[in-house]
Amino acid sequence: MDSYINAGNFLKEVGEIARFTLKFLITWFKPRYEIKEFFKQCYVIGYKSLPLIGLTGFIMGLVLTMQLRPSMVDYGVESELPAIVGIAIIREIGPVITALIFAGKIGSSIGAELGSMKVTEQIDAMEVSGTNPFKYLVVSRVLATTLMLPILAILSDAISLYGAYLGVNIKGETSLQLFWIQVIDSLSFNDVIPAFIKTYFFGFAVGIIGCYKGYNSNKGTEGVGKSANAAVVVASVLIFIIDLLAVQITDLLGYN
Amino acid sequence: MKNNSTDNIKLGVFVLGALFFLILLLYMIGKNSNMFGDNYILKTRFENVQGLKAGNNIRYAGIDIGTVKSVYFINDTMMEVKMVIDKKAKNIIKKNALVYIGTDGLVGNKLVNILAVKADAPYAVENDILPSKKPVDTDEMMRTLSKTNNQVSKIAEDFSITINKLNNSKGLWQLLNDHTIADNISNASIQVNKSSYKINEIANKINDIADVLKNGNGTLPKLINDKNLADSLTAAINNFKTAAYEITEAGKEINHSVALISKEVNDGKGSIHAILKDTSVTILLEKSMENIETGSKGFSDNMDALKHSFLFRGYFRRLEKRNKQ
Repeated sequence: MDSYINAGNFLKEVGEIARFTLKFLITWFKPRYEIKEFFKQCYVIGYKSLPLIGLTGFIMGLVLTMQLRPSMVDYGVESELPAIVGIAIIREIGPVITALIFAGKIGSSIGAELGSMKVTEQIDAMEVSGTNPFKYLVVSRVLATTLMLPILAILSDAISLYGAYLGVNIKGETSLQLFWIQVIDSLSFNDVIPAFIKTYFFGFAVGIIGCYKGYNSNKGTEGVGKSANAAVVVASVLIFIIDLLAVQITDLLGYN
Repeated sequence: MKNNSTDNIKLGVFVLGALFFLILLLYMIGKNSNMFGDNYILKTRFENVQGLKAGNNIRYAGIDIGTVKSVYFINDTMMEVKMVIDKKAKNIIKKNALVYIGTDGLVGNKLVNILAVKADAPYAVENDILPSKKPVDTDEMMRTLSKTNNQVSKIAEDFSITINKLNNSKGLWQLLNDHTIADNISNASIQVNKSSYKINEIANKINDIADVLKNGNGTLPKLINDKNLADSLTAAINNFKTAAYEITEAGKEINHSVALISKEVNDGKGSIHAILKDTSVTILLEKSMENIETGSKGFSDNMDALKHSFLFRGYFRRLEKRNKQ
């Protein structure tokens, strides 16, 4: 019986998220546009996240290289290390790890922020004062996450590659130029473009889930914590689901 | 307000930095795929492209000079590969350059190698079709290897049967275990050794003789080595041949004469016939012989008388002394 209730709740949740997404898509086109709030959110969501994303990206590149090295040495293809690491970072590690960190930081912050605004009835107050709270709070944040995550992912890729370069040079000796040439030689548009496109969907998912959870928060301060937590969990799961769909679609289209 | 604009500047730098990296990445990949810059198209044809696909590298003397643009069917047995080549290679690749499919390393990506041929030819131009070399067919290689393996297996089986037969052969093992054979062989080898020693000695002696014959001063070396002697011998042999010929001729003449005489004798003509056949002549000859015998006896008596005569005794003694000396 519980499982039926859970399944029902899950489907209800999916339906409400779909309705929320549709509302976003409709509201997005309609004026008036909250440009200032959008840039502010871009700064907070994008620029302020760079140190965290950069650090995790750098560590990821370095660790991945160091972890791969013994196996590559065993197979006698140590010289291919930059190529392998380059493909792994650009295709998968960079976008997904960035998105997950982004979900952890931004998803939870949006969920908590909107949740607290909801429980303190600030959203209702905005509506009373004539401001469209959905446009001001949700659209600006979702657009910011959608546009900033690809930017963060690209920078994370660059920092990860630099970490990988240092990783290669811990036990070997490769010039930056050779490392770069080897990485570029191993890459094609089919590696970069699908990976870049899917980060928009990751960003959109993080934003929409964070906003949905915060916007629909209740039960007082306890609800704020739950909203923040649920935003991170659902956004993270959604990132993996989108990643799975992206690789399937890319494969079907013959760009894999 | 001031805070807002600073934040926007930071945001702008942040976004531009990311875009710069993205554009650089895409540009480098595009450049690598010969999307930018001056290129020209060359073509080649293969019966089997072995998994070659668009984007694979084109290599000339180990340098990447382009990429495969497309691979498509011409007919049921022929594929055409279109290659985008950097224009820098325009004055390098000739029309007779050989194209073949290889791999980057042992397990790497497929690539197209362009091999220069020493014979002179004009440079390849846009849309030229370069001659291709049939790639090494790994499937065929594996088939041959499989066939060889089967044959080796059969040989090994036969060999195993032979070994089993040898192992089970009592006679062979008896032969191998018999020490007397080994002793005999050992003795025989000793004898062979001795014989070879003697043969060696003989050979040395023959060698010495040969040296003597070659370099010595005796008659035989001269006979062998002296050219004048050889000439003389040749002349002597020639003379001998001439003499033999003359003797033969004389013999013929004698035969002829004898035949004539015989004929005359048989015909009753000539003095020989008279001597041999006429009885009166024979009687006369007998009488003459008797008279000669009588005369010679008388002459002998007279000579004895002369020897004992004081007039001639001295002469005969001196003659006897001279004969003794």
